[in-house]
Amino acid sequence: MSVAEPRGASGLGESARQLPGELRLVVRQLRYEQLSFWRNRFGAIFTVGFSVVFLLLLAAGGGTQRSSVLGGIEEIQYYVPGFAAYGVMSACYNNLGIQIVVRRQTGLLKRLRLSPIATWVLFGAVLANAAVVSIVQVGLLLAIGRLGFHVVLPHAWLAFVLAVLVGIASFAALGVAVSTLVPSQESAGPIISLVFFVLLFLSGLWFPLTPGSGLAQVANYFPIHHLIVAFFAPFDTLRGASPWAWRDLGVVAIWGVVATVVALRRFEWEPRRN
Amino acid sequence: MVDRADGGRTAVEVDGLTKRYGTVEALRGVSFTVAAGEVFALLGPNGAGKTTTVEILEGFRRRDGGTVAVLGTDPAGRPRSLRQRLGIVLQECAVESNLTVREVLTRNAGFYPDPRPVDEVIELVGLGEKADSRVARLSGGQQRRLDVGLGIIGRPELIFLDEPTTGFDPSARRGAWELVRSLTAGGTTVILTTHYMDEAEALADRVAVVAAGRIVAEGPPSSLGGRDVGEAKIRFALPRDVAAEDLPVQVRRASVGFELSTTDEVEVLHALTSWSIAHDIPLVGLTVERLTLEDVYLRLTADKGAVRSTDAGTDTGPGEAAAGPGRRPRRAAGRQS
Repeated sequence: MSVAEPRGASGLGESARQLPGELRLVVRQLRYEQLSFWRNRFGAIFTVGFSVVFLLLLAAGGGTQRSSVLGGIEEIQYYVPGFAAYGVMSACYNNLGIQIVVRRQTGLLKRLRLSPIATWVLFGAVLANAAVVSIVQVGLLLAIGRLGFHVVLPHAWLAFVLAVLVGIASFAALGVAVSTLVPSQESAGPIISLVFFVLLFLSGLWFPLTPGSGLAQVANYFPIHHLIVAFFAPFDTLRGASPWAWRDLGVVAIWGVVATVVALRRFEWEPRRN
Repeated sequence: MVDRADGGRTAVEVDGLTKRYGTVEALRGVSFTVAAGEVFALLGPNGAGKTTTVEILEGFRRRDGGTVAVLGTDPAGRPRSLRQRLGIVLQECAVESNLTVREVLTRNAGFYPDPRPVDEVIELVGLGEKADSRVARLSGGQQRRLDVGLGIIGRPELIFLDEPTTGFDPSARRGAWELVRSLTAGGTTVILTTHYMDEAEALADRVAVVAAGRIVAEGPPSSLGGRDVGEAKIRFALPRDVAAEDLPVQVRRASVGFELSTTDEVEVLHALTSWSIAHDIPLVGLTVERLTLEDVYLRLTADKGAVRSTDAGTDTGPGEAAAGPGRRPRRAAGRQS
């Protein structure tokens, strides 16, 4: 790729001309992000392995019972979309948030900022990496559910794909936003993961929430419960309910927009010193 | 790069640079020029403003005032065409630990229009046997060398080295110095920050001493602060039965024997040695010492280690208090606008 001379062209026109090349750079950068992610066994197991192990444990512990809360369907039919949602959230919020803190505090972000790579190429690849890991997990969980437990797959695929995309976008924004609130590398795991697992517990990942209960009212304010509901809805068509959980997707999206604003305002490239 | 009137080329031109963090004035009018192909060292205590200056030149930090041209371009807007011509080696080794040496270098080579071949860089920084090892498995010194490799992969015209040998053992430092010399042999301009005097002396064509946000002295290391023409210290001892009053020159009593300071050491030595031969009295342990770069540095930076928010603009100019006996240091700092 040669350096474009200004030649009086506007900055915008110049970058538009280079767009295909830039996109290739994103893909190239994504390859290294993927290498880095899968080689970090601990991170990969924590992110991908957990969702699979949790699902299998819950299935072993009576997942084929019928749930009274869910109108008599098998619980595994709820856990599969629930853990698919968990997979998206752990890759985008938990893993991405911690990764950005570590990269910031070790000076890696600063170094990349100083290199010629464009900021959007860098972030495009980082976010694409979180998306790829999310989608791998969703696919894995659906496959396990279908092949292992005869779970009925979504009838409304479009509604499910939309829920996955909204989940990836919003929780990636939340991951970047939360990274700006963490002061040090040592506190990244405890702060980010603690918030995540407490909210997961409150939000009905391990057991369906009884509508109207106190827990359900608390969970209502946070995005996790709504994403689980939005993932479940496209599966839950046996009872004639709508597969499009617009209200829940709306709540998740609002959290995503707020997180984006926080991330853009607070993002820092250099290590924070205490 | 900009052609100068005298035919040389300027790599970096900084004039009246100011930067403030809250109430702290980190830079108070820093000015200097670096010629193409030169090795320029910024020397100073921690917090003096070295790193802030370099980060502004790199385009990482915005300045509050003054003008800056790096390879003829203002770095403030971080133009990519400029970043592609710079090489940067930071203090921290910051590389993805799960990638191999070759992978990281190959990836970063893709950021530049005309990178050095990856294998050539691996050889140059001496990581041939570690090329396919993951970064996490490299020793500290090897990681620093990878850092340097990343700094030069894009064939930079100007390279910034931020305290390149901090934490190195003596032989690793020699190795790093050799590498810097080989870079400059190829015409690359180097801006280096350090607080090692011997490093500045070994590598730099010119040194600027930064203290409290200003350049207090600037020049070749051999003549910085007037050390080439300043006072020399002559020391010796006399046999017990000889009194200092018998000497042809005025001396002070030192912890061992006598000493005297002079700007005309040739004349004084001549007087002393002639007297010694004529009277057959030995000058025991006779030595002549000049100021070391460290003496000059300590004198220049004394009591200026920390940046203060007060007393701005009230002084008579940098270098004044620090010049001491002998000639005032050459300087280019502190032009207040």
